[in-house]
Amino acid sequence: MIKKEISDQAFTQKVLSLFEKENDQRVYSRGDFLLQEGQVEHHLYFIEKGAVKLYYLTEFEERIIRFGYDGSLINSLSSFLNGSPSEFYIEAIRKTYVKRIPKALLMSVITKNYQSVTQYSKFLETVLIHQIDREIDLMVSSPTQRLERVLKRSPDLFKHVPLKYIASYLRMNPETLSRIRNS
Amino acid sequence: MKIEQSQLINDLIALSQQVLATTKTFKHLPYEALNFKPDHNTWSILECIEHLNRYGRFYLPEIEDQLLKSTPISKDRIFRSGFLGTYFVKLVRADNPKKMKAPREMDTTGSTLKSNVIDQFVKQLETLIILMDQSKTANLNTIKTAISLTRFVRLRLGDTLRFLVHHNERHINQAKRVMDKLEVDETFTQST
Repeated sequence: MIKKEISDQAFTQKVLSLFEKENDQRVYSRGDFLLQEGQVEHHLYFIEKGAVKLYYLTEFEERIIRFGYDGSLINSLSSFLNGSPSEFYIEAIRKTYVKRIPKALLMSVITKNYQSVTQYSKFLETVLIHQIDREIDLMVSSPTQRLERVLKRSPDLFKHVPLKYIASYLRMNPETLSRIRNS
Repeated sequence: MKIEQSQLINDLIALSQQVLATTKTFKHLPYEALNFKPDHNTWSILECIEHLNRYGRFYLPEIEDQLLKSTPISKDRIFRSGFLGTYFVKLVRADNPKKMKAPREMDTTGSTLKSNVIDQFVKQLETLIILMDQSKTANLNTIKTAISLTRFVRLRLGDTLRFLVHHNERHINQAKRVMDKLEVDETFTQST
């Protein structure tokens, strides 16, 4: 999850102003796809209001990788970076207002000057650190600890996302999550 | 039924490849078409496919478990279908025109379905084909798998595979008939 709280960072500000300028707003109802498996990701999305889930579909179920909600930047990152078909779906969990910018616009701003490139690489470092955090999430064996790690990072997750999806994100069943939360 | 194992598996894989090809053609239909119901007690294309997904969610892990537990055979053998296996396969074959009522947990009527139901079934078919390929060196007579209907009966692996593949074909044909109906309806709308 790339969150808005890094607003003191100049790059994020710069990117957020791009969304304003581009002003390509879309509204998705629950169950609508922002992106489906097999499509190429050409956009970066800013969630104004609502919530989305990014997941990998197996033969049997959806495996949620991350969420986006009010203030999040999100997309199918590997597809966006290398132009390959996305392995993931991005789907609205409820009615969601999204602004998006095309990859070309973002890249033109990044490559404009040296300062922007440095800021962008700093930004990517943050993304990378989040990614490693998430990897550790999945390796921690105690369900309680998995939940604690996520809550520390995103204390208001339960306000934005229904429990059954958080359970999938934490790789446990909803009953287990509900029991841990209540104890 | 008596058949060489390798022959049976090759036939089932070939049939599954056809089913896979047809399934992929559904991907190009608009969402409304995928949810179109000719009448209220006939399944839409997505309801047909989700029905198959539910069977796959039960059978694919079960088949994989039994295969992993088994010891491989060294040479081709003759597969003999069991009494119940013969019965179940005959029941679900695409050429049995008798309409059946799905068990409640397999009845997909009225579920909210998204178009990724098709992607999921494609993944299931690919997995099934891999599992069948692995079954070539497994004893299709002696390995038994649980069935979704009742826990008192177990079927020979060969019969379970035949059941799954023919059941898939049956409902993909059903979905194809819905698609044909859809095209007829569209022609009708255009000419008026």
